[in-house]
Amino acid sequence: MISLTGLNLILPQLIIALAAIIVMLSIAVKRCHRFTNLFTLLSFAAAAISVLYIPRGSFGVSSLFVVDGFGKFFTVLIACAGFVITLMSYHYLNAREKRNEEYYILLLLSSLGALTMVISNHFVSFFLSLEVLSVSLYALIGYLKEEPAGIESGIKYLVLAAVSSSFLLFGIALIYMQTGHLDLSGIAAGLSSSGEFSGVFIAGLAMVIVGIGFKMALVPFHLWTPDIYAGASAPVSAFVATVSKGAVFAFLLRLFYSTGGLENKNVWTVFTIIAVASMLFGNWLALRQQNIKRLLAYSSIGHLGYLMVAFLAITDRGMQAATFYLVVYFTGMLAAFGTVIYMSNKKGEALYIDDYRGLFWKKPWLAAIFTTVMLSLAGIPLTAGFLGKLYLLTAGTEVGIWLLVIVLVVSSGIGLFYYLRVVAVMFAGKNENEASSEPVIGKIFPHGLVLTLLFLLLLWFGVYPSSLLEIIQQIASVIR
Amino acid sequence: MQIIFYIAALVAIVSTAMVITRKNAVHALLYLIVSLLAVSVIFFIMGAPFVAALEVIVYAGAIMILIIFAIMMLNLGQASEKREKEWLKPRTWIGPGILAAILLAELIYTLNSFSPSAHEQAIIDAKDVGMSLFSTYALGVELAAMMLMAGIVGAYHIGHEKQKEYHRYLQKEEKL
Repeated sequence: MISLTGLNLILPQLIIALAAIIVMLSIAVKRCHRFTNLFTLLSFAAAAISVLYIPRGSFGVSSLFVVDGFGKFFTVLIACAGFVITLMSYHYLNAREKRNEEYYILLLLSSLGALTMVISNHFVSFFLSLEVLSVSLYALIGYLKEEPAGIESGIKYLVLAAVSSSFLLFGIALIYMQTGHLDLSGIAAGLSSSGEFSGVFIAGLAMVIVGIGFKMALVPFHLWTPDIYAGASAPVSAFVATVSKGAVFAFLLRLFYSTGGLENKNVWTVFTIIAVASMLFGNWLALRQQNIKRLLAYSSIGHLGYLMVAFLAITDRGMQAATFYLVVYFTGMLAAFGTVIYMSNKKGEALYIDDYRGLFWKKPWLAAIFTTVMLSLAGIPLTAGFLGKLYLLTAGTEVGIWLLVIVLVVSSGIGLFYYLRVVAVMFAGKNENEASSEPVIGKIFPHGLVLTLLFLLLLWFGVYPSSLLEIIQQIASVIR
Repeated sequence: MQIIFYIAALVAIVSTAMVITRKNAVHALLYLIVSLLAVSVIFFIMGAPFVAALEVIVYAGAIMILIIFAIMMLNLGQASEKREKEWLKPRTWIGPGILAAILLAELIYTLNSFSPSAHEQAIIDAKDVGMSLFSTYALGVELAAMMLMAGIVGAYHIGHEKQKEYHRYLQKEEKL
């Protein structure tokens, strides 16, 4: 039986679930965008703070979940990302859609899916979390009904995510057939008793990799990414880029580290190929993009490829590097999409790089922030992105996975080009044909404030990373 | 017992292949129902009669009927009535009929000859399913509820149309 004592361990998840229900009921009584937005903000903040009240150590909750330092860290990360996205959504939605309240229910529910995924210790809870996340995302991606592109990308995501889920389910069934367990510790025990990996188990793992690879947009499964990023509204794109991918990556770490699936040479090779392809193709395809959201989509494919390098190192150092890099990636991506939101207007988003031409002469602060974000994503010293990449490289060189390390360096070099192209456009001369006289959505509060905060974080982690690293060092050794 | 499983599995594969090759949605649905029935027979001989019943009631019953209703609601009028007559030609239902008959024969045979005690596999009945859903997987059930909520809210938002400004009687007149 489930006891009430276990429930305080999943306090953040309960808060978010309750918030979604309260928001839904409040809509039934009276629609008020301001209240809904504030309430969502408060619940994300409460979820992040409630983590402090969870006792230290690793606890199982009804065999489906395990609450440990690693899970708690990701819980805070996702709640903070949800907070930032909610904050940036308010004026955006006011300008572009009439019925805004449902957006927050869906945002809360998809965050709930991510929050339960990072503490999942069982294939059942993983799959259910994934579905909660995806079902809310179908509607979120197509949320702006006036936009044909949004609906189109919503349907694309629906079809592709359903196919990838069926792959995942079949893979889980095959793994269950071989080991007789659905919980990760049971699978690990079943594997160690049988010794060798059987063909059925490898086939199962391969299908799980397809499902997870789709969600993380790693290269053979990445084709949906640019279309969905470009079609969805900018806050939702930010959510897909950060929360959705980060949560799946957290489960990937848990799955392969706790079951020892990476010890098989074939599985390791498959992941190496995926990582190399993601790094190269992601950065290569971004080179000629004119649409900034597509550019960020390809860049996120590349970043997930970098993360795989640390994942494949299979050391504590690799784990720490991956966690650190993920935090940096979250901050950078949120700030990048935040700038896109800031520059958008009622008619549409600031999609094209030309929309940013001469930004430095009009809004020097915003241009400075966006420049820092781009430099951080590219990995230039003094920004967090540089240290993140440095840790990935040390993790890789320590265990001597030279191929991956070399590809990381080469693809970062390729990536530098398109990040700097955006920066160059911002500092170029003024835009002659000022087509859009519409005022931009961005306001000093909250957008300017949030962007400044993210900008300061990027610099802070870049100059003084030990504050974050100390926390990460505590949690990263727990999982193994 | 093995041979019964293989026959049911074969029926499932054949009917599913027919589903994706039919050009007419209603014909495909007939085969889809047979496919679901075949899966349900497999569940039954695996020792999960409750899940087998759920498969028939929920999938072959409720969901399929819903889809057929949706298709029929979209095709109203004389032309569709004629078309419905065409759909009911023996050529269209004889295939699914034969496959379903095979499954029925299997079911009758199993019910007559199959005794749970003689077989080593454990029978999982409704009580066991309920027990595990309300103990081990209670949080999973809650998560599934959240997923349904997301689906309903999403469908409500996407499907919501702008309210017409004129009165409904006026709207009727306009149609005339």
